[in-house]
Amino acid sequence: MRTSRRKFMATTALGGALAAAAPREAARAQAKTLRVRSYVTLQQLDPLNRLGAPEGDVMDCLYPGLITTKGDGTWGWSLDAASAIEQVDTTHIKFELRKGMGWTGGFGEVTAEDVKYSYERIANPDNKSAYRGDWAALDKVEVTSSHTGVIVLKEPYIPLWTTTLPFNSGSIVCKAAVEKLDGKRFTLEPPATFGPYKIKQNVARQRMTMERNRDWPGPQPAFDEVEFLNILDANAAETAYQAGEIDLTLLPMTAVPRIQKAMPARSKLVVAPSLAYWWLGMQMEEGLFADKRVRQAVQLAVDVNAVLEGAFFGVAPRSTGFIAPGMTGHRAANKIAKPDLAAARKLLAEAGHPRGFKTEIGVRNSAEFVNAAQVVAASLAQIGIEAQVQPFDQGVQKAVASGKAGEWKKMALHIARFSMQPDPSWASVWFTREQIGEWNWERFPDAEYNELHAKGLKESDPQKRQAMYVRMQDIMEDSGAYVFLTHGVNPILHRDSFIPALTPDANKVLVPKFKLA
Amino acid sequence: MTGALRRLLREPLGALGLGLVLVIVASAVFADALAAYPPTQLDVRNRLSGPTAQHWFGTDHLGRDTFSRVVHGGRIALLVSLVSVGLSLAIGLVLGMIAGYGPRWLDNLLMLVFDAVRSFPTIMFALAVVTLFGPSLETVILIVVVTSIPVHGRIVRTQTLSLKAQEFILAERAMGAGPVRVLFHHVLPNVIGPVLILASMEVPVVIAIEAGLSFLGLGVRPPTPSWGSILNDGYGFIRDTPWLILAGGLPVVMTTLGFTFLGEALRDVFDPRLKRE
Repeated sequence: MRTSRRKFMATTALGGALAAAAPREAARAQAKTLRVRSYVTLQQLDPLNRLGAPEGDVMDCLYPGLITTKGDGTWGWSLDAASAIEQVDTTHIKFELRKGMGWTGGFGEVTAEDVKYSYERIANPDNKSAYRGDWAALDKVEVTSSHTGVIVLKEPYIPLWTTTLPFNSGSIVCKAAVEKLDGKRFTLEPPATFGPYKIKQNVARQRMTMERNRDWPGPQPAFDEVEFLNILDANAAETAYQAGEIDLTLLPMTAVPRIQKAMPARSKLVVAPSLAYWWLGMQMEEGLFADKRVRQAVQLAVDVNAVLEGAFFGVAPRSTGFIAPGMTGHRAANKIAKPDLAAARKLLAEAGHPRGFKTEIGVRNSAEFVNAAQVVAASLAQIGIEAQVQPFDQGVQKAVASGKAGEWKKMALHIARFSMQPDPSWASVWFTREQIGEWNWERFPDAEYNELHAKGLKESDPQKRQAMYVRMQDIMEDSGAYVFLTHGVNPILHRDSFIPALTPDANKVLVPKFKLA
Repeated sequence: MTGALRRLLREPLGALGLGLVLVIVASAVFADALAAYPPTQLDVRNRLSGPTAQHWFGTDHLGRDTFSRVVHGGRIALLVSLVSVGLSLAIGLVLGMIAGYGPRWLDNLLMLVFDAVRSFPTIMFALAVVTLFGPSLETVILIVVVTSIPVHGRIVRTQTLSLKAQEFILAERAMGAGPVRVLFHHVLPNVIGPVLILASMEVPVVIAIEAGLSFLGLGVRPPTPSWGSILNDGYGFIRDTPWLILAGGLPVVMTTLGFTFLGEALRDVFDPRLKRE
C-alpha cells in the first residue's frame, strides 16, 4: 500500500485531534469516579465487627438499612430498604421491605429474615460485637411475612431512631450467605451485598473500588465508581489531594488555619463541629489519683484554653462535657471555668504532695494527643507535677487503660477521645460501673450516675432527659476525675465539582447521596 | 599522642570530623548555657515562627524555642550513644574474648546467640521491645546495647582467635598463667585499639537509631527534646514551615559526618599497615 504525503498529513492530523480529545474524554470518565481517602486501613466490612468510621462509609455503599441518615446536614433519617416503618408503641416497630432487592451471588431477595438475622446477630452476646449495646434493648425481630416484620424491644429504647437504625448497627446482611461461611463471619469480602454500589475490586491495605449497582431501587448515586484509598498519614493525604489523586479527605485540625489562608484551587473546606469528646482523665481507684484532692488539684491546674490553642491551633472550642452543643444533655458551662494555681497548690499540699510528684500522661501515639499532653504537662509543671508523656498504639492504650495489661498506672492520668453518635446515651454508657475494666478508664464508680444512665435510655421527655444528662456530667466533674477538653472539629477538604452528603459532624460521609455541583 | 593528633589534623576530613564532633559535644555539654529558653517552655501564640534574633532556629508548633531543643536534644543523643556504645563495647569485649579463647562449645553457643540477635532487623527488634516495655530513654539504650554487642563481640573474637596462637600467649600459658590473666593482661591490650575505633564509628549509627525511634514516637518521651522528635514535629508541620525539619535534620547529619570522618581518620592514623603505605 502506497501512502501519499497528503494522506500521511491527513492521517497524522486526525490522529493528533483524537489524541487531543482523548484526555478530555478520560477527564469526563474520571469525573464519574470519586476517590475518597480512608484515614484508617479498611479491615472490616462486617457490621458486627466494624472498627472505624470509614468502614461504616463503605458499608453504606454496600448494605441496605431499614432507614438511613439523610446526609443533608441534619440528623434526620429517610427510608432506605424499608418502604414503610412505624413505631406502633414504645417497644414495637413495624417495618415493610421494598420488593425486588436481590443480593449479589444469587442469594435471593432481601427479606425480613435477613433483618432478623442481622440485628439479633449483633445483639447476641456470644458474638461479642463491640456494638451489641446498640441492640441491648432488643428482645427479638418477629418475621410476619417474607417482607414484613416487627422489631420487639424488651423496654423502651430512645436511641434506636437516632443511633441504631440509621447507622451501621442497622445495616442488613444476607443471612443465607453469612451462614454459609466458616465461623459465620467475614472481613473484607462480604459474601453478598445489596446497596447503591457493589464491590468491583479490593486491593488489601490499599484501596476498595466499587461500581454503581444498577439494580438499586432507590435514587441512583451520582458517581459510577467510588474508590476508598487507605491513606493513613495526613501529610500524604494532603499531598495526594493537591496532586489530584483523591477528591475528598479528612484533615487534621491543625491544618485548618493554613488551608483557610491558601485554599487549593477548585476546592471547598467544610469545618464541622464534631460530636466526639476529648478529656483528661484520672484513675480514681488506686495510686496517686485515688486521693480526690490530687484530682481536684489537677482540674484546677490545667489550662484547657492553652491546650486547645497549642494542640488544635484554636480551631476547636472548649467543651463542657461529653455532649456537644445542640444535643440533648449539653451542659451550659464547666464548674471550673479557668485555672486557679494557688488553690491547686493548696490542695496538693493538703494531700501530702507540697512539692508535687512525678507521673505519666498516657496517650494515643498521634500528634494531636501527644501535643495536647505536652501542654497539659506544662500546666501541671506549674504546681510541681512533673509529667512525662507516654504514647501508646491505639490498641495497646485500650489494653493498658482497661487494666487488662496490668499496667494501668501508666494510664493513671490520660487523655482520651471517644467517638459519638447523636444520642447522649452513646457517651454516658462508657462511664458506667459495668464498663470498669473495659472503657471506663477512670474506674469511675458512681451509683447515681449509673441509675441516671439507665433511666436516660427509657426517658422520652426531652426536658427530663436534658436534666438527667446534665446532672451526670456534673457528677463526673465533681468526682475530680475529669477535665473536659473539646469536641474538636472535623475538617473535610473536597473538590467543588460535587456536593458531599455529610452528617452534621462530618463524621459520616454518605457517598451514595453525593450530588454533582 | 601529639604525633597522632598532628597526623589526624593533617587529614582534611579528619580535622573536619574532629571539629564537628567538638562542636556537637560542646553544645551538648554547655546546653544550659547556650539555650536562651528552657527546652519545654511553651509560647503557643508565637508558634511556627521562622528564625529571628530571639529564636535562632525559629519555634515549633507549641512555640518552643527550636535552638534550645536542638542543643538539649544533642545531650540526649550523646548520652544514648555514649552509654550504649560503652556498655555494648564492654560486654562485647568480654563475650568476644571468652568466645575466642574459651572452649569450642562455648564459642559455638555465643556465636549462635550473636547470629540470632543480628538476624533481627534493628527496627523490627526495636518495635517489639518498645511494645513490651514502652518508649523511654532506657528502652532505647537497651535496644542499642543488645543489637550492638554481637558487632563488637564478633570482632573481638576474631582478634582473640588470631592472638591465641601467638607465641607470647603460648609462652604465658606455659608459665602457668590462667585464662583471666591471659585475657586481661595480654589479649585485651591488643584488641582494644581497633575496637575503640570501631566504636567511634558506631556512635553515629546509634544516634541515627535514637533519632529514628524518636521520630517514630518510640524513643525518648515527650516533652524531653530529641532530634528525632524535632524531625517528627517538623514532618507534621512541613507545609507550615521548613525550619523544624532543617533544625532537627542538620545536627543528625553533622554528627553522623563528624563521627564517621573522625573514625576513619583515627583508623588511618593508628593502623600500622596504612601508616606504612
